[in-house]
Amino acid sequence: MTAATPVAASSAADPLPETGTGPNRRKALAALAIRLGALLTFAFIMLYFALTARGFLSAYNAFNVVEQSAILGVLAFGTAVVIVGGGAEVQTGGIDLSIAANAGLCAAVFATLSTAGFNPTVVLLATLGTGLAVGALNAFAVVGLGILPLLATLAVMNVAAGLELTLTENTVVSAASPVLAFLQTGRFLGVSTLAWTLILFSALMILVVHHTAVGPRLYAVGGHPEAARAAGLDVGAYVAGTYLFSGFCAAFASVLLVSRLSASTPGTGELLLSVLAAALLGTVFSRRFVPTMGGTLLSTLFIGFLANGFQLLGVSSYWVAGVQGALILLVVAVTSFARPQEH
Amino acid sequence: MATNAFRRLDTGRLSTLAVVGAFALLVAFFALAAPSFLTAGNLYNLLVNNVVLLAVVALGMTLVIASGGIDLSVGVSVDMASMVFIMLLAAGYAAPLAVLAGLGAALLVGSLNAALITRLRISPFLATLGVLFIGQSVQRLSTGGGQPIYLVRAEFAPTFDAIARSSLLGVPTPVIVLVLCLAAVYLVLHRTVFGRQVAAIGAKPGVAWYSGIRVPFQLAKVYVGAAFLCGIAGILLSSTVKSYVPMSGNAFLLDAIGATFIGTTISRERRPGVLGTLLGVALLAVVKNGLLLVGWNFYWQQVGIGVLVFLVLAVSFGLHRRD
Repeated sequence: MTAATPVAASSAADPLPETGTGPNRRKALAALAIRLGALLTFAFIMLYFALTARGFLSAYNAFNVVEQSAILGVLAFGTAVVIVGGGAEVQTGGIDLSIAANAGLCAAVFATLSTAGFNPTVVLLATLGTGLAVGALNAFAVVGLGILPLLATLAVMNVAAGLELTLTENTVVSAASPVLAFLQTGRFLGVSTLAWTLILFSALMILVVHHTAVGPRLYAVGGHPEAARAAGLDVGAYVAGTYLFSGFCAAFASVLLVSRLSASTPGTGELLLSVLAAALLGTVFSRRFVPTMGGTLLSTLFIGFLANGFQLLGVSSYWVAGVQGALILLVVAVTSFARPQEH
Repeated sequence: MATNAFRRLDTGRLSTLAVVGAFALLVAFFALAAPSFLTAGNLYNLLVNNVVLLAVVALGMTLVIASGGIDLSVGVSVDMASMVFIMLLAAGYAAPLAVLAGLGAALLVGSLNAALITRLRISPFLATLGVLFIGQSVQRLSTGGGQPIYLVRAEFAPTFDAIARSSLLGVPTPVIVLVLCLAAVYLVLHRTVFGRQVAAIGAKPGVAWYSGIRVPFQLAKVYVGAAFLCGIAGILLSSTVKSYVPMSGNAFLLDAIGATFIGTTISRERRPGVLGTLLGVALLAVVKNGLLLVGWNFYWQQVGIGVLVFLVLAVSFGLHRRD
């Protein structure tokens, strides 16, 4: 992974590059320094693992990490899109706290219906329908009723988590389906289906968000809703769309989740923290510190490699959450100093 | 102007009526559906087990939300107090020292939040999210991956009973603690200059800043105060269950946020307030306890609470939008 990818992705994401002089220029330089600093930190940690952890650099291990990151990545993309469309204001802006619980509910639907012997197509449609239904509920609450996204999705998270528990009785529901077999054993050019999924999904996200008109419109809606409305964009429809998309991502990730474990397991909702970390850490790779798809992919892989490196080094997995938390704080603290002070 | 003010008043009354009406309907429903609901034994259980702990945490959340922030790490404060308290007791330290150290651990969490928010200017959501992550790691590392610590030996029973099962003039100690916390937060938030400044920061941080309010200093006090209240809840919790269960404090997060926002819906100014929060806590506690008595299992309770909070938010924000 070279430094070119995120820089290209983020410059594509910033339709209005700053070209001022004086303080503006100094701020731009500071931002550049932070972006490079984040990349250097990433590179440094990779280097450390490569030197100390046996087998870290092997192709097998790298694809293993990519495979493991597929689920997190899909969910992080969903979250990033919601944050982009709802604005990065953390309390009043876009956020979907229900995405992980939704994925858990979808996984439970998928596993339960598969076990009950339904046709794989029906099962897939039902799973997708569940994810989209939860997304639609969020969209209705946020756009239709005007509830703060943070609160609306918190309530929906509880509903989704409760429904998952009632469906599975808090047990592991093992599942077998041709879809799962394809995901588990399918390979193309020596790379597993799961890894291909993340590669293709990321490519698609970067293409759509940073190289079509949809992306800049989405950033406009999130960054300045009034201006976007004045420019003729249907702000409500875009924001509702982001929640539907995050519901879709939850359903998509749930199928990957079930394929990885051959079962739906309780505790999927705990992924939420890692998903938020991936989406929020990704902002550090962009010029204006907004979520970008390239940045989200980088931070997802970073979190994946971090966990993997710790595992290879024999460091207890109990550290992982704490290190992730410290990294979020570090990243956000640094970026908050680069931003103009707001009162 | 006059019609505007009238309409706002009307909306305020309407949502108050909606929440109080919902509360009365739920109580009536459970009283009819579950004969044991209105018995003295159940009401005592409801008060001591469902209301007290959540109310103390929710009071902290009320302070934070009144200041325009949010605290996702309330669970960490509860857990850290509980963990230090139980570990020190297990190591043979005197009970008062263990209680103080537990509260100190919660204050440490609050100070960390305060430093991150006021010194490093991290938004409250991200700062407390980071602390939540770190808190989980600390608990996993200190307990070998999340093993609960049970102190069931007889030598610990007097300490726990003195905190959780004693009573003064027939009033259980946890209820006395709750009343003291309620009175303290009510006075601080609604009857002092500090409280008005916190409300000003919550409503218009920019204006508060230019009015000469020491925003960072007051915010720091808010987060430390909230963590202290969570610490009290943590000590009460571990004394009630005679154990420390890692990461158990997170269960309070949604309920505390929900209760606070149910409270704001019934306030005429749509501001968080102590009495509103208390009503929100009572509503959630009645639903939990009632659903259990009616025979819904734990999983459906979670769905029920989620739906209830969602409906209250929908009514509140829907009415607000009409203004």
